[in-house]
Amino acid sequence: MARRPKYELPKKSNSTFTLNITSMTDMFTILLVFLLQSYSTSDVEIIPENNIRLPQSASMANPVESIKLSLSATALKIDQTLIAEVSNADFSAKDLEDKDTNFIKPLFNELDKLAKTKSDKQWVKDGKILLQADKNLPYSTLRKVMYTASMAGFPQLKLVTLVGD
Amino acid sequence: MRRAKKLHINHNSEFELDLAPLLAVMVKLVPVLLVSSAFIQVMVIETELPQVVSEAIQKQENNPNPTTVTMEMDAKEVRIITMVKGQEKIAAIPVKSAGVYDFEKINAQLVAVKKEHPEVFKIELSPEGNVPYNEIVKVMDEARQARDGSVKFPVLDSKTGKNVETQYMFPEVVFVNMMEG
Repeated sequence: MARRPKYELPKKSNSTFTLNITSMTDMFTILLVFLLQSYSTSDVEIIPENNIRLPQSASMANPVESIKLSLSATALKIDQTLIAEVSNADFSAKDLEDKDTNFIKPLFNELDKLAKTKSDKQWVKDGKILLQADKNLPYSTLRKVMYTASMAGFPQLKLVTLVGD
Repeated sequence: MRRAKKLHINHNSEFELDLAPLLAVMVKLVPVLLVSSAFIQVMVIETELPQVVSEAIQKQENNPNPTTVTMEMDAKEVRIITMVKGQEKIAAIPVKSAGVYDFEKINAQLVAVKKEHPEVFKIELSPEGNVPYNEIVKVMDEARQARDGSVKFPVLDSKTGKNVETQYMFPEVVFVNMMEG
């Protein structure tokens, strides 16, 4: 009996293949839509402090250019500069005025300096402050910051919050 | 005479769309958007701090008996005080349990006050020193708008002289006890 010849796949030398990129395009389209949704339209960059847990609010007002204050359970800062230390939700006695315990001396001095050096900026003239404060701090700690800011000529306080219900 | 050759057009032909340029654009766009995206959305609540300035005094002089709405907060309750022509009306909303405020009732009471006095947009907030900041922000949220989105309040448009509707109740928050010792 004659043996049947073995079938061989046709061999193509120097063959090219096309990569199917449809699925990759799908993935990129989804990614693009998601990124466009979360694209920041605000012109002010707020860097959340590591040890500050911001409260959630339903407010949808965008932040505006202002002096950025941050108040955590351990420190009070302007931008990234340490102004005063906080312990047990209060400022140390050396930072407070003897006669007026709501008055934070280093904060007043720094804000006063900023008001003089950046007097050409409109937001300094308007007295605008962005305050990032830890949600667990009591009002008495915040009140001291607000009071001192107001005394230094910064009465327009804006409380930084996270978007939530 | 020779016959003209007939062209055969296949109307059912398929073609493959070249997605490579589209992909190239996306590969460039995605990193740009990744860098500029805000994954944590940060917003602000605008408040005003009372200043001992002549402007505020002048306003009070112009209107000797303004209607004021004050909200006092302590560990036990929230008191909503409405002052109309020197007469005080107090509504106290006790806490549900220690440190848990009844925000639903606070909102309902504020809606009732706003319906009575639609001309008032400012609320004076006076929390005690031990009230956490988080609770103050929540109360400010309750004062801003009614929980029921369909509830609207009339406001007189000074330009057209007509009443328009707004969903805002008390968007202006002033911390009144800030200057107290």
